[in-house]
Amino acid sequence: MPSLSVSLGRLQLSNPILVASGTFGYAREMEEYVDFSQLGGIIPKTITQEPRIGNPPPRTVETSAGMLNSIGLDNDGLEVFIEKHIPYLLSLPTAAFANIAGREVEEFAQMAERLDAWSTPKPEAGLNALAGLELNISCPNVSGGVDFGTNPDSARNVVAAVRNSTSLPVIAKLTPNITNIVEIAQAAKEGGADAVSLVNTFQGMAINWRTRKPILGRILGGLSGPAIKPLALRCVWQVSHAVDIPIIGIGGIQSIDDVMEFLVAGASAVQIGTANFYNPKLSGTLAEALHQIMAEEKCNSLAELRRCEGVRAGLGE
Amino acid sequence: MQVQAKVASQRQLAEDTFCLRVTAPEVARIIQPGQFLMIRPEGGFDPILGRPFALYDVIPGETPEQDAFEFVYHVVGKMTHLMSEWTGGEEVEVWGPLGNGFPTPSGKHLLCVGGGIGYTPFPAVIRAALGLKPFGESPWKTTTERVTFCYAAQTASKLADLEGVESLENVSVQLATDDGSRGHHGLVTDLLAKALEQSGDDRPDEVFCCGPERMMQAVARLCEQHQVNCWLSLETPMACGFGACFSCVTKVKTCDGWDYRRTCVEGPIFSAAELELSEV
Repeated sequence: MPSLSVSLGRLQLSNPILVASGTFGYAREMEEYVDFSQLGGIIPKTITQEPRIGNPPPRTVETSAGMLNSIGLDNDGLEVFIEKHIPYLLSLPTAAFANIAGREVEEFAQMAERLDAWSTPKPEAGLNALAGLELNISCPNVSGGVDFGTNPDSARNVVAAVRNSTSLPVIAKLTPNITNIVEIAQAAKEGGADAVSLVNTFQGMAINWRTRKPILGRILGGLSGPAIKPLALRCVWQVSHAVDIPIIGIGGIQSIDDVMEFLVAGASAVQIGTANFYNPKLSGTLAEALHQIMAEEKCNSLAELRRCEGVRAGLGE
Repeated sequence: MQVQAKVASQRQLAEDTFCLRVTAPEVARIIQPGQFLMIRPEGGFDPILGRPFALYDVIPGETPEQDAFEFVYHVVGKMTHLMSEWTGGEEVEVWGPLGNGFPTPSGKHLLCVGGGIGYTPFPAVIRAALGLKPFGESPWKTTTERVTFCYAAQTASKLADLEGVESLENVSVQLATDDGSRGHHGLVTDLLAKALEQSGDDRPDEVFCCGPERMMQAVARLCEQHQVNCWLSLETPMACGFGACFSCVTKVKTCDGWDYRRTCVEGPIFSAAELELSEV
């Protein structure tokens, strides 16, 4: 059977199907739905240095073919993550990442340095190495501090600070709520990112006109789900043609056809996000479906399957 | 677990209130009263998220493969309008059982309070408490000898057919409507207050409650005043039902104040004493 393995810079993954931060809990929540060995990697919920209580409910609301969320990085903080979740995540038969968010560049760097202790496997404890860090520089739902992902200089600085604090591979997760995502991806590359994940949610809101009030507790939220897929594909395509950096595509993927669209647009791997909520077993079925597509298309490698040149030509470049 | 299942049948129990039967033996065999499941139509993406519904009943099939569960819903939005048109044979995705379910009732006299569509777990709770029907792999072994069921809705046409619960031995059903069109003219908490003031066997040992937030707050306060254990089944907006999305949080007391906890995995049943109730 042809291999699905994929490399993104220093990152080696057994297949290109990952699960997106904030949609898979800390993996334990998903164990009765997903055979983790079928995943290329798991990106657990964002952690911050200190515990965060998160935003007032309602935190999610369904919209047309999607949903808005404003969870507000509700988490128990880095030390609880290390104590409670790392031993579990690193015992799983797949690549496990940590997704971190800091209020300042220095805090990102400190968290990266602390997590660097898991950059090598601990066979005596039955633990794999942490596969890498994904930097959440794009959460639309927290206030205060700099929104690192909306400015090329701050994106470059925060990636560079993390890169200097750890030997772990670094992925920058970017926001689409900007004018030019290519600039930010370029900055992340200059800062030393091994890959970028595109995209986090699109800022939006929902209103109940009968009460004359917004529905979410914190008024604005991030839109995800199939509704954003064309927007996310556009971001992936733009970056893949302008910046030489591996891309992990995210945005409304709910089928193997969606996965293929992102790969063709220029992504090397993908993350399944909102679909984990409404089809929890989906992520564990996609690697097998990808094998089937490779057989049908008579391709021996993912690179062959992607045939990005065709897209470029077709779009008049 | 997540299974593909088929709608078996549907019946109407009150105005805009329907009971849907879904053939799903794996879920039906293990689900307990107070637990819930998520359901959505197979395929499509609008509506997109699953919807949570509490267990109403489990119906053994002619063969084990035909075992089914039932839930009752009120038609309010996009998904429930769609569901109300189902007649049988529709393919659905179901995941569950989810949540903790009600604890095994303690004492001899259980009182259940249901407000509006919040009444739906109680027919199963009542039968399980009285040992009339086993649910799940380790059915309750209770000491319950009698159940009082206080059930209220806006108006008589919205009170659901209780499908035989009212004629069970050792069950007393007390109804209330906001407009007085049936039963007590007033709030369900009037009925509860009266029950809590009784003495001896007439006084309930424990209260289970599900309904609108303000009703549950009032029920919890009354139970606290009368020092009777009270368990609330919360309904909070949720996206996944299994703890991944962190949407469905409610304020739970901690040693140094409160923390948001996920209703879907730590609940939906909470002891009223655990909750930061002014904020529920």
